[in-house]
Amino acid sequence: MIDACGLTKRYGEVVAVDDLSLRVSAGETYALLGLNGAGKTTTIRMLLGMVRPTSGSVHVLGTAVGPGEHALWSRVGYLVETPAAYPELTVRENLTVAARLRGVSASRRVDEVVERLNLAVYADKRARTLSLGNAQRLGLAKALVHEPDLLILDEPANGLDPAGVVEIRELLRELSHDRGVTVVLSSHILTEVARLATRIGVIHRGRLVRELEAADLNAFLRQRLSVSTRDPEAAEQALTAAGFVPVRSENGALVLADAQSVREPDVVATVLVAAGCPPTRLVVEQDDLETFFLREVGS
Amino acid sequence: MIDAVATEVLKTRRSRVPWVTAATFAVATAVGGLFMFILQDQDRARSLGLIGTKAALVGGQADWPTYLSLLSQIAALGGMLVFGLVSVWLFGREFSQNTVKDLLAMPTSRTSIVAAKFVVALMWCLALTFQLLVLGLLAGVVLGLPGWSAEVLGSGALVVVVTAGMTFLLTTPVALASSVGRGYLPGVAVMIGSVFCAQIVAALGYGAYFPWSVPALFSGVAGPDQASPGLLGVVLVVPVGAAGVVATSLWWRNADQDR
Repeated sequence: MIDACGLTKRYGEVVAVDDLSLRVSAGETYALLGLNGAGKTTTIRMLLGMVRPTSGSVHVLGTAVGPGEHALWSRVGYLVETPAAYPELTVRENLTVAARLRGVSASRRVDEVVERLNLAVYADKRARTLSLGNAQRLGLAKALVHEPDLLILDEPANGLDPAGVVEIRELLRELSHDRGVTVVLSSHILTEVARLATRIGVIHRGRLVRELEAADLNAFLRQRLSVSTRDPEAAEQALTAAGFVPVRSENGALVLADAQSVREPDVVATVLVAAGCPPTRLVVEQDDLETFFLREVGS
Repeated sequence: MIDAVATEVLKTRRSRVPWVTAATFAVATAVGGLFMFILQDQDRARSLGLIGTKAALVGGQADWPTYLSLLSQIAALGGMLVFGLVSVWLFGREFSQNTVKDLLAMPTSRTSIVAAKFVVALMWCLALTFQLLVLGLLAGVVLGLPGWSAEVLGSGALVVVVTAGMTFLLTTPVALASSVGRGYLPGVAVMIGSVFCAQIVAALGYGAYFPWSVPALFSGVAGPDQASPGLLGVVLVVPVGAAGVVATSLWWRNADQDR
């Protein structure tokens, strides 16, 4: 579906994207994960032919992206950065404009996508009256109006309330599972990415620093045992004497990061009970995605 | 291409800008009619308070040839601003409102979208010219201007249409400026700069060779003692118009759209 090879974009001395290669197969949901300014949007604009790479090449649906190759976009829907719409046009008219430019003349498709994105109430209201969340829905509706095979979405959950985020996640999941739509999205909301993507690319300072299958994500998340007792000093001495390496955390708990502690917390509990300071709290904690991500990008 | 034109027509129909341009041209036509009314009888105008008691208007008689010449001057001077505004709005709004990104990766080519915008601009400017002629004719009839003949009317209307056509061609660089500058202001700046330069160059006596001065000279704004720009001057307008269209299309097709 997408084959980007050695993509680099320089603006004078600034390297926005640096030698980025990316391959997305049909049916995948691929998430580009990165901080603001990491190069996600520039990458997406290069995939869509809006920005010409300084070097490297992009093929989308088997066609080299470049000026004059516009036919391929009939199978691609996209949303780049904040949604925009013609403010004096109604929601329906904005969708009609998007549909006609994509060669879709049937108003039935407009009606369907209005229903699908829960925009029916606003269909005949001017776009200037929409909230940010509904403007985002309209942006997604424009991307979907021609039933594309490939969706490229830049921060699709932007501006949506929690219910809206869930709704869009379900929509994208349904499109992917039921219709086989390939989705490429960028996000900095890691929990969303983890729930939706089948593969994740971590982008930092323009470089793709890691790619991983979403199913393997847990393997990359570090685990540790956190222990609280009424007498932390005695507990620390007992654990040290037993060969463990406890570290006192800011909240007074003892943290054991070695594999044995994580694997056998019962052994740790036994040592503490024997030393006369039984645990009041014993829990295996896992890195949250934010911690994982910040560790990956070295922040 | 038809779809692109249809979408541009829809956006234009829903906007207030066509009404603003129509109102501007209507006011300009009314001012022309008022000018004729004053010239018909300056004592009457003074008694009505339209001009000062000691003021006197010079510059023509209240007849059809003068009035038609006045309408063509409106097409030249007013057209540069109003037709320019049309181009500024059609192109600059896509950047100011950030809607351009939704036009860039479409099965409808960017060249078709640019062409559709120029087609709509041309239709819009033709409609304004038609309005200028119709309202002008109505005002002339109501005023009962003398000197009517089919020949006078035909040649006068032709000058208005040719002047408007040349003015339209000269506003295509405004579309380029609105695109490259990504908004309204650069287009407005080029539009005002064009009018300013046209005045200066014409005053220096080289207006016949400076395309932006040609429509006004062709319309007779400089008076009967100034030579008409001639065929060369009129022909020079065409490459400017064509260059504006081609450069705008090439820019949309090839420039990085990273904002």
